[in-house]
Amino acid sequence: MTRGSGTEKAETTTTTEDPQMPDPAGADTPDTARDREADAAQNQEADAIRGRETNAARDQEMGTARSRETGAARDRETDAAQAPEGARELLPVATPARTRAVVRRLLRPHRGLLLGGFVVMVGATTVGLLTQPLLGYMVDLVTEHRPVDALTLPAVFLVLVAVAQGITTALGLSLISQLGETVLAHLRERFVERALGLPLEQLEKAGSGDLTARITGDVSLVAGAVRSALPELVRSVLAIVLTLGALAVLDWRFMLAALLAVPIQAHTARWYVRRAASIYAEQRIATGAQQQQLLDTIGGASTVRAFRLEEGHTELVTRRSWSAVELTMRGVRLMLRFYSRLHLGEYIGLAAVLVVGFLLVRSGSTSIGTATAAALYFHSLFTPINSALVLIDDAQSAGASLARLVGVADQPVAEETAATVAAEQPRGSVVPPAGAVTVAGLGHAYEPGRPVLHDIDLTLRPGERVALVGASGAGKTTLAKLIAGIHRPTTGSVRLSVADPHGSGRTVALVTQEVHVFAGPLADDLRLARPDATDDDLCEALTQVDALTWAEALPDGLGTVVGEGGHRLTPTQAQQLALARLILADPPIAVLDEATAEAGSTGARLLEKATDRAIEGRTALIVAHRLTQAATADRIVVMDDGRIVESGGHGELCAAGGPYAALWEAWSDTRSTAPH
Amino acid sequence: MGVAASSGRDVLRRAVRGQRRDVALGSLLGAGHQAGEALVPVLIGVVIDQAVAKGEVSALLLWLAVLAAVYVGLSFSFRFGARAGERAAEQAAHVLRVELVRRVLHPGGGAENGRLPGALTTIATEDAKRVGAVNLAVMFGISAIVGLLVGAVVLLWISLTLGLIVLLGTPVLLWLGHLLSKPLERRSEAEQERAAHASGVAADLVAGLRVLKGIGAEEAAVDRYRRTSRGSLVATLRAARAEALQNGMVLALTGCFIAVVALVGGRLAVQGDISLGQLVSAVGLALFLLGPLEVFAWVNADLAQGRASAARIAGVLATPPAVTIGGGRLPQPVRGEVRLRGVSHDGLHEIDLDVAPGELLGVAATDPADAAALLRCLSRQADPESGVVELDGVSLRELDPADLRLAVLVAEHDADLFEGTLWGNVGAAAPESADPEPAMVAAGADEIVRAMPRGGDTAVSGRGHSLSGGQRQRVALARALAADRAVLVVHDPTTAVDGVTEARIAPGIREIRRGRTTILVTTSPALLAVADRVVLLDGGRITDTAPHADLVRRHAAYRTAVLA
Repeated sequence: MTRGSGTEKAETTTTTEDPQMPDPAGADTPDTARDREADAAQNQEADAIRGRETNAARDQEMGTARSRETGAARDRETDAAQAPEGARELLPVATPARTRAVVRRLLRPHRGLLLGGFVVMVGATTVGLLTQPLLGYMVDLVTEHRPVDALTLPAVFLVLVAVAQGITTALGLSLISQLGETVLAHLRERFVERALGLPLEQLEKAGSGDLTARITGDVSLVAGAVRSALPELVRSVLAIVLTLGALAVLDWRFMLAALLAVPIQAHTARWYVRRAASIYAEQRIATGAQQQQLLDTIGGASTVRAFRLEEGHTELVTRRSWSAVELTMRGVRLMLRFYSRLHLGEYIGLAAVLVVGFLLVRSGSTSIGTATAAALYFHSLFTPINSALVLIDDAQSAGASLARLVGVADQPVAEETAATVAAEQPRGSVVPPAGAVTVAGLGHAYEPGRPVLHDIDLTLRPGERVALVGASGAGKTTLAKLIAGIHRPTTGSVRLSVADPHGSGRTVALVTQEVHVFAGPLADDLRLARPDATDDDLCEALTQVDALTWAEALPDGLGTVVGEGGHRLTPTQAQQLALARLILADPPIAVLDEATAEAGSTGARLLEKATDRAIEGRTALIVAHRLTQAATADRIVVMDDGRIVESGGHGELCAAGGPYAALWEAWSDTRSTAPH
Repeated sequence: MGVAASSGRDVLRRAVRGQRRDVALGSLLGAGHQAGEALVPVLIGVVIDQAVAKGEVSALLLWLAVLAAVYVGLSFSFRFGARAGERAAEQAAHVLRVELVRRVLHPGGGAENGRLPGALTTIATEDAKRVGAVNLAVMFGISAIVGLLVGAVVLLWISLTLGLIVLLGTPVLLWLGHLLSKPLERRSEAEQERAAHASGVAADLVAGLRVLKGIGAEEAAVDRYRRTSRGSLVATLRAARAEALQNGMVLALTGCFIAVVALVGGRLAVQGDISLGQLVSAVGLALFLLGPLEVFAWVNADLAQGRASAARIAGVLATPPAVTIGGGRLPQPVRGEVRLRGVSHDGLHEIDLDVAPGELLGVAATDPADAAALLRCLSRQADPESGVVELDGVSLRELDPADLRLAVLVAEHDADLFEGTLWGNVGAAAPESADPEPAMVAAGADEIVRAMPRGGDTAVSGRGHSLSGGQRQRVALARALAADRAVLVVHDPTTAVDGVTEARIAPGIREIRRGRTTILVTTSPALLAVADRVVLLDGGRITDTAPHADLVRRHAAYRTAVLA
């Protein structure tokens, strides 16, 4: 690659903004936390699918609620302690109007399907409604003591009606599912696209649990609703409306009688929905807290045993589990009271229809068969009414999930993030050479009034290796993130200059100690960095980071499924993959934040060598954990309390007797006799 | 608590037996409900026959009152029956959940070996719930049988012919429906797998979002997800069409069945064998009976799921403890003399080691696996394959691991913090009324407290993930120091801590542990330098023992392991 000597040059300037991120760590952020959260969510996900449908839906909700609402649960548990992330800014949730608008827009290309499905379902329901009058007609034939054979014709019609109803229903349902599923697929794809495009800054504020919960919990909740609730609801509503119509056709007074049940049912539904929302919300919180506690206790079992905390933890689990049980039972009791009231409605409607039938038959204005048909109509309404009312519940939670999906999917396409290259062509004559990094007057505060960086000026020459050292909390990671464009600086600017602003790939890559191995074949994982890479490219990159030997020794070589649910890689191997991805992505500028920290010392040395090769030919900023790594850099920049306090070569700084010399002494003292 | 072997069947039986009162109550009331539901169509027929056809007001009022009574009964029994059933299900699940947690936390350990925490948590939530739900299934199953019996008796009483047609026809109908749904079930399983896969891919991409952003691979990731999503859509549509077809066929079959019942019933009524009302009742009952039979189908499915879940739960409960629970006692007070004789375990060969009471010993292992094996033996997560580990002259095998851990604390490298506050975590295992401050200072955790807006009362989220790696490690170290055990074994406590802080922590540990036995298993020279002597563990054997500086001078293997 010849990025350093291109003809076109461009640069990017990061503008200033004022993020309010409550960062408990001050400077370092807890990165690996998210992996485990995601693990749990996925686990739950996979498992819920095993369950019965209703279970699955409930569990998904639980998954959704867990990460978002444990905060609230914790506040109740330990009211003294307010979580620092209590002030999280969750990702946007769409308003009902916006959600409807987006759904309408998604439906627009499928108008034909929508209309067709609706018409066919109306037809199917109407045909089905011929059953009761036919049965009533047979009753009349019996009453009139007609010959036995007269019954054959209506019976044949009954069969025809059944067959026609079956065919049209099958067609209608399949049209409706096709519509729902296609729209859902588009929505989830757009969601993922926008989610991956969100600025990391915003994600860090929300906590990635929010996003994970949406992509797993909310998507499957909506999918479940589309799959089962939507067709069922369409059928039920059509059945109710058309049956009432059919009752009116028999005699308008039958319909009036049936409508007597409506006020009770409507009132019951309102009563239920009002109470259910808060109970279920509490229940989700409690189930989430229980889940979190179990993960905490079981995941930390060996720690619990080592410190003899078994009793306390058993107690905690028992308490949280029991409170979830109690809340579930509250929900059950409410649900059952709801059914009791529906029973009352059923009785009143049925009795009214029977009384009307009685009066009409007595006055001679209708036949016994018609009265029978009316009673049978009403009896057949029980099921659709109950399911429609119960589905209100599902529809509500699906609606909430949908609003959360739309909230993200509706985001404008992410603006160019700080470090991507704007297509602006600098006309000035003094353009920094390609691969240079210029930091000027940079300051940053996660919370207003608590600055962690002050007035940083720093220039990296193309191809230069600069090591950033200093104690924890000195601001190294923050500076690295600002240069990598993860955060926008509060004051000052970061300029990156590249050869070809329109070239593929990005200008700067960031590799941190957070290792994530993407689930799937190893080769696919690497190709995320360069989709068109050949197998040779992959092997070449793996060779560079000393990973080819073990990679080829995997059961299926580069085709081995790794990551979640596949072959587990060691932290060192995972970090080697991250470096191989860096080589494949091939950015002119690389920022490495303690990329060797998690590997233990043996692995660290291996990774240091791999790192050296991975940043060959790039401008590199290395946040160094081990001073030996710093010592070999072209230049060392020492930070303390958010400022650069020293900068220079290893020998130069050692001789200067400043902070670096002190650090080095503390470090090398413990390694005093190391043969350097 | 019992670690007695239990089979899945035992787990199921205990889950039901433990809730027998609620299950019995639920079944009784559920049966009442089903009987009531069966009577509704019968009564519609009676009203048509006795009141509407004959035009008698008194009959109308009488039978409407009877209908009201039936409604009150069925509504009441459903409400309280279902409540009892749900309660049984929830309580059984709760009992199992707590039992599972007790097993996992049992001092003998072993239950979590080979199982991921997520998988165990799923067993404690989902599987426990499914086993609990068996109570509900039993209750509904019994009720459905009663409903079926009531319907059958009424039908046979109306007419033997009609009764037999309905009673034999309904199972055939359901069997046909089941037959139709077989291929669908298979398809839908495949579809769910695809859907789960799509959702898994999405969650995985989101989990690795920082990594994706770091190398600018968002677009490639979106493309990958879109392909997965499309594949899933195709599978879903195929399954949805099959399901729609099945729905349509079941509707058509049911309609044909009703036509047959109406035709036969109508002929019987015309011939005067049954009354008009009985005809209406028979048609209504034919429709009603589909309900209880469908209940059987899902009760069966639930029982099958419950059995599978119970087997998984039993698998955890029946895991033998990793170490035996000895009945021996440690002489009090514990002096803290640790002795290993001929210990071979997982790569360790014939280790002989004496640690004097009050000594600060460093252990540097060239292979991290050897260090891990040594820690497992010292914490009695495992007993050595051969040889013996002794504390104050008592073999660890003879002790209850719970008692041992009051004397010996092995603080692992990846020890977890728990939800609570900073103070709460540090003081978790500290003696009552102990001041956590010295331990905090020694572990370099005091500055974390100072940096936090709420100081020591700052909340720590589950597993300590609200803290950075270095902060977590220091708080965990402070907790280990605050526990103040007679013997403390610390494993790599400063890997995520910067050199300057580490240099401050090393003498801190030495100071606070003065006079009590401490073993530092680490390759950090800063820590090893403060040890009285250091043992070099190379190739599974102790190859040398000397103070740090001497080892550095005379041992190449030591230099490679410890110094970079």
